[in-house]
Amino acid sequence: MSKIGLPRGLLYYEFAPLWTTFFEALGAEVVVSPKTNKKILDDGTRYCVDDACIPVKVFHGHVLNLKNKVDTLFIPRIMGIHQKEYICPKFCGLPEMIKYSINDLPKMINTKIDYTKKDQSKRTMNQIASYITTNKKTIQKAYQMANQSYTEYKKNQKELLISNNHNIMIMGHPYIIYDDFLNMSIKKKLKKAGLYPVTYDIFDESILNKYALGYHGKIFWLFFRKMIGACLYLIDHKLVDGVIYLSSFGCGIDSVVAETVERNIRRNSQIPFMLITIDEHSGEAGFNTRLEAFIDMLKWRNKDENYLSPYGDYVYSR
Amino acid sequence: MKEKVFLGIDVGSVSTNIVLMNEEQALIEKMYLRTMGNPIKVLKDALHTLRDYHGDEIEIIGVGTTGSGRDLANFIVGADIVKNEITSHAIASSTYVPDVKTIIEIGGQDSKIILLRNQIVCDFAMNTVCAAGTGSFLDRQAARLGVPIESFGDIALKSKTPVRIAGRCAVFAESDMIHKQQLGYSQEDIINGLCEALVRNYLNNVGKGKDIQAPVVFQGGVAANKGIKRAFEKALKCEVYVPIHYNVMGALGAALLAQKELKKTKKTKFYGLNTADVDFQVKGFECSHCPNACEVVGIYKDGQLAARWGDKCGRWSNIDLDSPVA
Repeated sequence: MSKIGLPRGLLYYEFAPLWTTFFEALGAEVVVSPKTNKKILDDGTRYCVDDACIPVKVFHGHVLNLKNKVDTLFIPRIMGIHQKEYICPKFCGLPEMIKYSINDLPKMINTKIDYTKKDQSKRTMNQIASYITTNKKTIQKAYQMANQSYTEYKKNQKELLISNNHNIMIMGHPYIIYDDFLNMSIKKKLKKAGLYPVTYDIFDESILNKYALGYHGKIFWLFFRKMIGACLYLIDHKLVDGVIYLSSFGCGIDSVVAETVERNIRRNSQIPFMLITIDEHSGEAGFNTRLEAFIDMLKWRNKDENYLSPYGDYVYSR
Repeated sequence: MKEKVFLGIDVGSVSTNIVLMNEEQALIEKMYLRTMGNPIKVLKDALHTLRDYHGDEIEIIGVGTTGSGRDLANFIVGADIVKNEITSHAIASSTYVPDVKTIIEIGGQDSKIILLRNQIVCDFAMNTVCAAGTGSFLDRQAARLGVPIESFGDIALKSKTPVRIAGRCAVFAESDMIHKQQLGYSQEDIINGLCEALVRNYLNNVGKGKDIQAPVVFQGGVAANKGIKRAFEKALKCEVYVPIHYNVMGALGAALLAQKELKKTKKTKFYGLNTADVDFQVKGFECSHCPNACEVVGIYKDGQLAARWGDKCGRWSNIDLDSPVA
């Protein structure tokens, strides 16, 4: 039985159940690297080209972690998952980046995943499966199971019901907002302050798509549709008290996406917005200062609605 | 009878600022000290000074700490409130300049912008990746030019001809400066150019997309520099107000917050001015428990381990656990 390694990085955070179920149903053993830790980050930065963004570096670390534990690595060449929506070029060249940065790698499944022109999922899945089996029936069944588990996973995310108040929307690419090492456990910190962190995944895809149509520009990047959809939906429904956008230093896509989201929120709503850029640094002081100040700001605002001044004395007597 | 006062401590990257404020919110004492990379020593020395000069006349009834070293300061003195520097600065400004709408704060390593509307913070930002728009950058350039940082502003004001210096990055600015100086530009023009470069960088980086409305308050150590103040006024086309206690506003905010906190708690957690005699030792080690390899710091108070932090999982917060290093 072949052992397939899935590095816990980049789009793993979006497609984990799909990929895991697919390979397992094909009869392979799936090994996933552990959650990001400092060693993975250190290894990643040591091996990766130096101008890559931190999520790509971390991905290298995950590959290094799996290198000697598996006989096949799954590092697909992802070009796009929806029609006319593209992804950062680093994903398209990821197999090469890994191959030329790390020596003595096991076999690599680097099938191209490109649905930007038309949905090629059948063909792609056959190609990926061919590394393990050629049995048409097994592949067909594995594909169905994988799809089903992915749909269920997405549905479960939605069941994390949005609470009545004090919701904070965390935006950004899934490999940052779901990697608690990279995002310095922002969700835990928000919860500790009595706030409820939520992500755009709790909204129904159809809602996001509908609202994304209201965006006047062209939706060019993967995840942009989700983020702009969520952003316009929030402006309309005022479901959250604040939005925190997590971006990694040097992210080309965020230079457009984060900017667009920020502008839309600032121009069309009163929702407080904060952009935090993360990178290699492990000192959390700067991160915590911004987060605490943001939380303070929200609390002052809520007090203001009760006619209270910034620090507690009554401004107006009623 | 001893006067009741609040102590505000702001431990920043470059300076440690300490204020004493009475119950009428008037400043009694302020100290602006260089942190010199040794916050514990500076704090202890400051407490010494406070005891020597004011020990007989004052009673500290509340303590607030802020700045990047706020947790450390809290541990040493015992604070009633520990607040981030953005909130502290905003509180101080809005108390002394009630209608303030924009706060520009430039410190040693940080620069911030805080927007207030109706006395409520509505937006803020801090510098992201680079220290080009901060005090350290000016310090560095002043040292290179052999000009004391205190006279930097006055020299800049003498400038008649503007010289444009690249402000995006401290390294580029330096090479640009050298280039201009080799072409024979006068020192005051170059220094003024530097001030304008810093302001340009601040407005493009920290102030990007922010709706800067008057009244504008400029505080933090760099506000001492008249050249920067003038450059801001020129760029913003409005008057920029520098409060009297511009360099200790963070500490003042902490003291104000302590006053408010004491209304609730009534009794201070302050360890007293005799903390100045306590011996503090810091010992760090790298935890080998998991691949995160956290750098854990332990603080020893008179030889006894008193607190530990730096670990992600929290296992070392339990001080009964022996450190792997003695």
